[in-house]
Amino acid sequence: MDPQTSAEPEVPISSRHPDRAVVWFGEHSRTIWRSVFREDHLFLILSVFIGVFSGLAVVCFRFAIDWARIYLLGTGAILTTARMLLAPTLAGLVIAALVIHFFPTTRGSGVNQTKAALYIFNGNIPIRTAIGKFITAALAIGSGHSLGPEDPSLQIGACLASAMGRKMRLQRDRMRLIAPVGAAAGLAAAFNAPISAVLFVIEEVIGRWTAGILGSVVLSAVSSVVVMRWFLGSESLFRIPAVELKRPTELIAYAVLGVVGGLASVAFASGIATFRPICKGLPPWTQYFQPAVAGLLIGIIAVLGAPQVMGAGYEYIDQAMHGQFTWEFLAILAGLKILATLFSFVSGTPGGMFAPTLFIGAMLGAAVGGAEHVLVPHLTGSPGTYALVGMGVLFAGFLRVPMTSVFMVLEVSGNYSIILPVIVANTFAYVISRALLPIPIFDLLTRQDGLELPSMEEQREEGILRVEDAMQPVQGPVLDAGQSLEQALKQLDHSESERLLVRLVPSGWASVSKKELFDMAAQGKGTHALGSLLPILHVPYLHPDHPLETALRYVDRWPIVPVVSRADFRHLEGVVTQKDVLERYREFGEG
Amino acid sequence: MLDELQEEMPSPRLARYRVYLRERPVMLVVLTLAAVVFFLAVSGLSRAHQAQREALGDRWFTRGRSDLNTKRFDAAVTDFRAALLYAPDNYSYQLNLAEALIGQHRTGQASAYLLNLWDREPDNGLVNLELARIAAQQGETQEAVRYYHNAVYAVWPPSEEEMRGDARLELIELLLRNNEKPQAQGELIALAASVGPDPVVQEHLGDLFLRAEDYEHALAAYSVTLKSDRHNPGALAGAGFAAFELGRYPLAQRYLVAAAIVKPNDPEIEDRLKTTQMVLHMDPFRRQVAVSERHQMVVNAFNTAGQRLKSCPLPKIAPAGPASDQASSLNDDWNRLKPEVTEERLRTNPDLAETAMDLVFRIERETSIVCGTPTGPDLALLLISRLHEGS
Repeated sequence: MDPQTSAEPEVPISSRHPDRAVVWFGEHSRTIWRSVFREDHLFLILSVFIGVFSGLAVVCFRFAIDWARIYLLGTGAILTTARMLLAPTLAGLVIAALVIHFFPTTRGSGVNQTKAALYIFNGNIPIRTAIGKFITAALAIGSGHSLGPEDPSLQIGACLASAMGRKMRLQRDRMRLIAPVGAAAGLAAAFNAPISAVLFVIEEVIGRWTAGILGSVVLSAVSSVVVMRWFLGSESLFRIPAVELKRPTELIAYAVLGVVGGLASVAFASGIATFRPICKGLPPWTQYFQPAVAGLLIGIIAVLGAPQVMGAGYEYIDQAMHGQFTWEFLAILAGLKILATLFSFVSGTPGGMFAPTLFIGAMLGAAVGGAEHVLVPHLTGSPGTYALVGMGVLFAGFLRVPMTSVFMVLEVSGNYSIILPVIVANTFAYVISRALLPIPIFDLLTRQDGLELPSMEEQREEGILRVEDAMQPVQGPVLDAGQSLEQALKQLDHSESERLLVRLVPSGWASVSKKELFDMAAQGKGTHALGSLLPILHVPYLHPDHPLETALRYVDRWPIVPVVSRADFRHLEGVVTQKDVLERYREFGEG
Repeated sequence: MLDELQEEMPSPRLARYRVYLRERPVMLVVLTLAAVVFFLAVSGLSRAHQAQREALGDRWFTRGRSDLNTKRFDAAVTDFRAALLYAPDNYSYQLNLAEALIGQHRTGQASAYLLNLWDREPDNGLVNLELARIAAQQGETQEAVRYYHNAVYAVWPPSEEEMRGDARLELIELLLRNNEKPQAQGELIALAASVGPDPVVQEHLGDLFLRAEDYEHALAAYSVTLKSDRHNPGALAGAGFAAFELGRYPLAQRYLVAAAIVKPNDPEIEDRLKTTQMVLHMDPFRRQVAVSERHQMVVNAFNTAGQRLKSCPLPKIAPAGPASDQASSLNDDWNRLKPEVTEERLRTNPDLAETAMDLVFRIERETSIVCGTPTGPDLALLLISRLHEGS
C-alpha cells in the first residue's frame, strides 16, 4: 500500500501540531495586543466608546428635558398663565440651590469649561459636573428658561470622556485632548450634525488641525450621532423648506441680513458682557434668587404674548421657516429672545447658548426676509431660506465661528444651493461683529471668570514669522563642488566672508570656512576637486516660506544655512544664521 | 544570584506591557459591558418616553378631530399643534392640522404643511386634493390642475375611493370656471366611464357635459337618468337643452314640453320651448308642410328679415372690408327681391323660395354678427339657417 495514498483524513495543521499553533498564536496575539493597545490606537477605540456613551447620555438628557417640560409647563401647545409664571421661577430657585450647594461648576454653557479642561486641568473634569449639568440644565430648559441643550450636551460628553480617560490611565498629552473628543460627541448628538460638531470643536476648543485628534473627534462624533439616531431618529430639528437662489442679485438682500445679524450679535454679546459681571458682583445671597428672577421675567414675557421665547424653541423655528408668523412679529420675537436669553444666562442658570442663537437668527432672518419682500416684492427667497441663513449669521456674528456657521447651515439644510447666501451673509455679520466687539463671546466669558485661555480667534489670526523674514542676501561667493581648490581660493581673494557655501553635485549644499580651505591648500591639495575634500555631512537647506521655527532647529548647529528656491534646489535665494533668526524674533516681540 | 534577581525583576518595558495587558483590556471589557447595560437601560427609557409621547399625541389628536368635526377650527389647530409636539413627523397629525388651517383660511400655513407631506408621499390622494384646492383658491390654475390630476391618479384607501371621483369633479368645475372646455370634456368622458347608472350622478354629469358644450354626451347622460326617473325635471330640461343645441328640435320640443309640465313657470324652459316651437313652425324646408303654408312661411321669414335689417342697420360706409360691401348688397338684395317675394310669385317660380330664404339666412347671420344674437323670430330664423347650413 502506497503510504502517500493512504486514506488518512486531512487534519488541520493546528490539530496536528498543537504546540506550533499555540506558539504561532502566542507570537501573533502579542503583536495584535501591542497594536491594539498602542496609545494612539487605544485612543481611537476609546473615542468610539466616548461617542457611544455621550450619545446615550444625550438621549437621556433629551428625555429629561422633555419630561421636565411636560410636568412643569404642561402637555398642550398653549401654556396656562400660572405655569408660564411659576414653572421657570420655582425651577430657578431649585436650580440656584443645586448649583450653589452641590454643583458649583455647572454654571454657564460648558464650552469654556471644556476649554479649561484642555488647557488648564490636563483634561480632568469631575464626573459630578456632568451629573449636575444634566439635572440643572434639564430643569432649566424644561421649565422654560431661554437656554438650549447643545452646550450642556457638549460638556456632558467632555465629562464622560474625561472619566474614561482617567480610568484608562491615558498619557498626559492624550488626556488633555480627551475632553474635546467627548465635547464633539456630545455636541454632535445634541445637534444631530456631526460635521458641525467636529468643526466647532476644532475651531473653538482645540484651535488646530492635527491628524491624530481629528480622527478621534470624527469617530466620537459619528458614533454618538449613530446612537442618538438609533433612539431619536434621523429627522432634522426642524422641517427644512425648499431652498433656492434664483438670481445672484438677491445676494444683496442676504448681505443686508448679514449686516442686521451682525448688529444683533453685537447687541446680544454686549448685553451679556455688561450684565453678567453686574449679576456676579451682587451680594452672594442674591445668587439664590437670580435664576428665579430671570425665570419670572421670562414668564412675564411669555404671558404678555410671546410664549415662544420659553425653552429651546425649535418648534417655533420650524414655524418661522414655514412662514407662519408676520415679519413684524418675527422681529419682536428675535428681540424678546435676546432679552430672555440675557436674563437666563447672566443669572448663572446652567444651559446653552446654541439654541437661543439659532432661534434669534431664524427669527431675525425671516423678519429681514419678510421686510425685504415688502420693499422689493420680486425677491424670490422664501422665509425659510432667510431663516436658515439667519441662523448661520448669528452663529458667525455671536459665537464667532465662521466655518462652523457655514457648514452648520449646509448640514442642517442638506442643500448646497444655500451656500452662497450663507457665505455672503455670514461674512458681513462676522466682520461687523469683529469690528464692533473685538473680543469674542467665549473669550469674554473666560476673562470675566478670571481664566486666561487661549483665544482661538486670536490664534487663527496671529502673524507667523517665516524664513524669508530673517533671510539675508549671500555675502561671499558660492563655490561649486566641481571646481578645484585652487580655483576656489582665487574666488576668495575679494571676499570678506569667513564661511562659504558649496553647491554639491547633483544636489545639496555644504559649508566650509576660509581657514579650512587654506589649511587644505597648505596640505598640497590645491588640484583636488573641492567636493572630494569636504566632509560627508551636508548642510540642510530651507525654503523662504518655511516657518522661522524650522530654522531654529538648524542654525544652532550650522553657522550658515542656505535658503533655496522650491523650484530649483540649486538656486540660492539667501542665507540665515542664528543671529539673523534671533534678531528677527526680538524685533517681532517688540512689536 | 544577581542574574536570578535580574530575571525576576521585570524590565520597565515589560512592566508597561503588563500594565497594558492587566488593566486596559479589562477596562475595555468593562466599558463594553457598561455600554451594553447603558444601551439597554436607555432602550427601556426610550420605550417609556415613546409610549408617553404617543399617548399624549393621540389624546390631543382625538381632541383635535372632534373640534374639526364640529368646525371649531381655532381649537382644532391648537390641539393638532399640541399633538405634533409629541410626534412632529406624524403624517396624519400634519394633514389634519393643514385641514384645520384651511378651515381658518390660513392657506399659506396649510400649504407649507401639505407641501412637506407631499414631499414625503407624492402619491397621497388627500394631500394632492388639498393642495389642488389651495392652488385653485389662490388662482394658480396650472398648479391646481396638476395637483388635481395627481389626486385623481393617486393612491386612495378603499374607504375613500369615492374621493377620486370627487377630485375629478372638482377638477372639471375648475376647468369649466376657467373656460377650458375641451380639457373639461376629456375629464368628463373619463369620469362618465367610471360612474354607474345612478340617476343623480348621471344628471350631474349631464349638467357638466352641457356646461362643457358636449351636448351628445349630455343628452346620453340625461337619457340614463330619465330611464329610471321619467319625470325628473332637471333631466328633462337638460335633455331638452342638449337636443336644442344639437339642432334636434322635435326631440327638444318633446323634452321641453315634458319639463314645462313637471316644472311650470320656469322662464328658461319656457323661453327655450318657445324658440324651439318657433323653429319648428317657421322652417319652410321641413317635411310634410303644405305648399301654400310653405310659401306663407317664406313670405313671413322674408318680412321678418327685412324688419331685422331695419332695426339693425348695417353700416353702408365702412373703412374697408367685406362686411360693409355685404351690408350694402344685403340691403339692395332685399329691396330688389321684395316685390317678387309674394305667395303668387312663389307659386309660379319654385326656385324663388330658395333664393328668398338664402337671403333671409344671410341677413340673420350678418345682423347677428353686428348686433348680437337676436331674440324671437329672428333667433328662430338664425337657428333654421344653421340647421340647413351646407344643405
